[in-house]
Amino acid sequence: MNPLTLSLVLTTMISGTLIVMTSSHWFMIWVGFEMNMLAIIPLLTKEHNPRSTEAATKYFLTQATASMLLMMAAITNLLYTGHWSIMKLINPTASIMMTMALTMKLGLSPFHFWVPEVTQGIPLMSGLILLTWQKLAPLSVLYMIMPLINMNILLIMSLMSIAIGGWGGLNQTQLRKIMAYSSIAHMGWMLAVLAYNPTMTLLNLYLYIPMTITTFMLLMINSTTTTTSLSHTYNKLPLITTLILITMLSLGGLPPLTGFLPKWAIIQEMTKNSSIIMPTLMALLALLNLYFYTRITYTTSLTMFPTANNMKIKWQFKNSKQTMSLPLMITISTLTLPLAPMMMILD
Amino acid sequence: MMVYIVSILSIIFVVGFVGFSSKPSPIYGGVGLFASGGVGCGIVVSFNGSFLGLMVFLIYLGGMLVVFGYTTAMATEQYPEAWVSNMVVLGSFVVGLLMEFLLVLYVLVGEELKVVFEFNEIGDWAIYDTGDSGVFTKESMGVAALYSYGNWLVVVTGWSLLIGVVIILEITRGN
Repeated sequence: MNPLTLSLVLTTMISGTLIVMTSSHWFMIWVGFEMNMLAIIPLLTKEHNPRSTEAATKYFLTQATASMLLMMAAITNLLYTGHWSIMKLINPTASIMMTMALTMKLGLSPFHFWVPEVTQGIPLMSGLILLTWQKLAPLSVLYMIMPLINMNILLIMSLMSIAIGGWGGLNQTQLRKIMAYSSIAHMGWMLAVLAYNPTMTLLNLYLYIPMTITTFMLLMINSTTTTTSLSHTYNKLPLITTLILITMLSLGGLPPLTGFLPKWAIIQEMTKNSSIIMPTLMALLALLNLYFYTRITYTTSLTMFPTANNMKIKWQFKNSKQTMSLPLMITISTLTLPLAPMMMILD
Repeated sequence: MMVYIVSILSIIFVVGFVGFSSKPSPIYGGVGLFASGGVGCGIVVSFNGSFLGLMVFLIYLGGMLVVFGYTTAMATEQYPEAWVSNMVVLGSFVVGLLMEFLLVLYVLVGEELKVVFEFNEIGDWAIYDTGDSGVFTKESMGVAALYSYGNWLVVVTGWSLLIGVVIILEITRGN
């Protein structure tokens, strides 16, 4: 893409999200969502091929439907209450419709089908943006309307997301789809605790984003998109195998790593609120996620796939990819569990 | 009467969108979209939104048609010819410019058209006609608000429109 066009598009994408996050008027929130959605389309079709066009079309149709629902909910609320303020989503119908619209934008469970389809069809860099930056705007709106959301719907949707996010990735060999399912599951965790303590939602988001960035950066070094090609990492960049292993385990939420912190905090918060069955189910379903993360670590660093002999010894080229921020991202996404006491500054 | 008009317009509206979504070719899809958009403006006008309907018709549909024509032209030609790429085209462009320059010179020097000079009664155009009641309608109040304290909204919408054209060109252009 032309650098000038790219900078215009990126500016619009970022300012769309910022408009959503800083507005208190439903109309401006809608405008921000539309700007953001429009600006991401050229990034999705950065590589012009039918698959990326299909992915961009799917993304556009889903997001446009969600925006329309959002506008409809805002207008319904306007009809019944007479104002556009985001904090006063009093009408229950409007509140449910708004929840549907925002969860559709986030890719929560009954509306999750677009996430793997879109992520699989686009370049890794665009996938990274799609799974991190694009979550900020809908989550910030959900955070703001949290007191007036129908909690039963939200909890059912988040439990379904955790289940589907774990289940869908089980038989998957495509890494971008696995990351998409991982995103669905994490969104489920974030929204499950939203009704109890929205700060924990933010904590999970703050830690999910660095972990996703790290994973995508590790995949981008070799432009890896399949498990097979991940299993060849050992003869290109042996150290990366260890890093992928530890990042994957962190994403799965194993105790000494960063990814454990949000799961720990969320389960603790929910049990404090006398919710026992829900966190138990969530923790059990997270094991499905852990299973496919573990399989990735296994194929990357613990085994060699059967290949032709000449593939086992490769000429070692000097790597030309810039990985400047990778050490920092690795550290953030794996070693920050000891900073858990700092959580209290979030409250 | 009103109900009949709106129902007829609604039928055309839906038929237009059906034609748009089952389009044989993007060009005819654009025709369907334009028909539905125009009829939609008619529906808005029927519900007393005369100003809104007119604005949507002029700006949304006008702008959409321009962008549609532009992108169609871009999609047809991978490397479009510019004014300087062909001597005949460049020649006709220069001749056209010359002719206009001569015409302006003729009007200015020859004082042929008084109306061009005595067009200073601009005040006639700027008087707000508020009708018999003397109360501004909702629509004119909304426009006034948009341009007074809603000025940043104008900036945002203008930016969105501009970037929309850039994005549409970037997508339709192909490689």
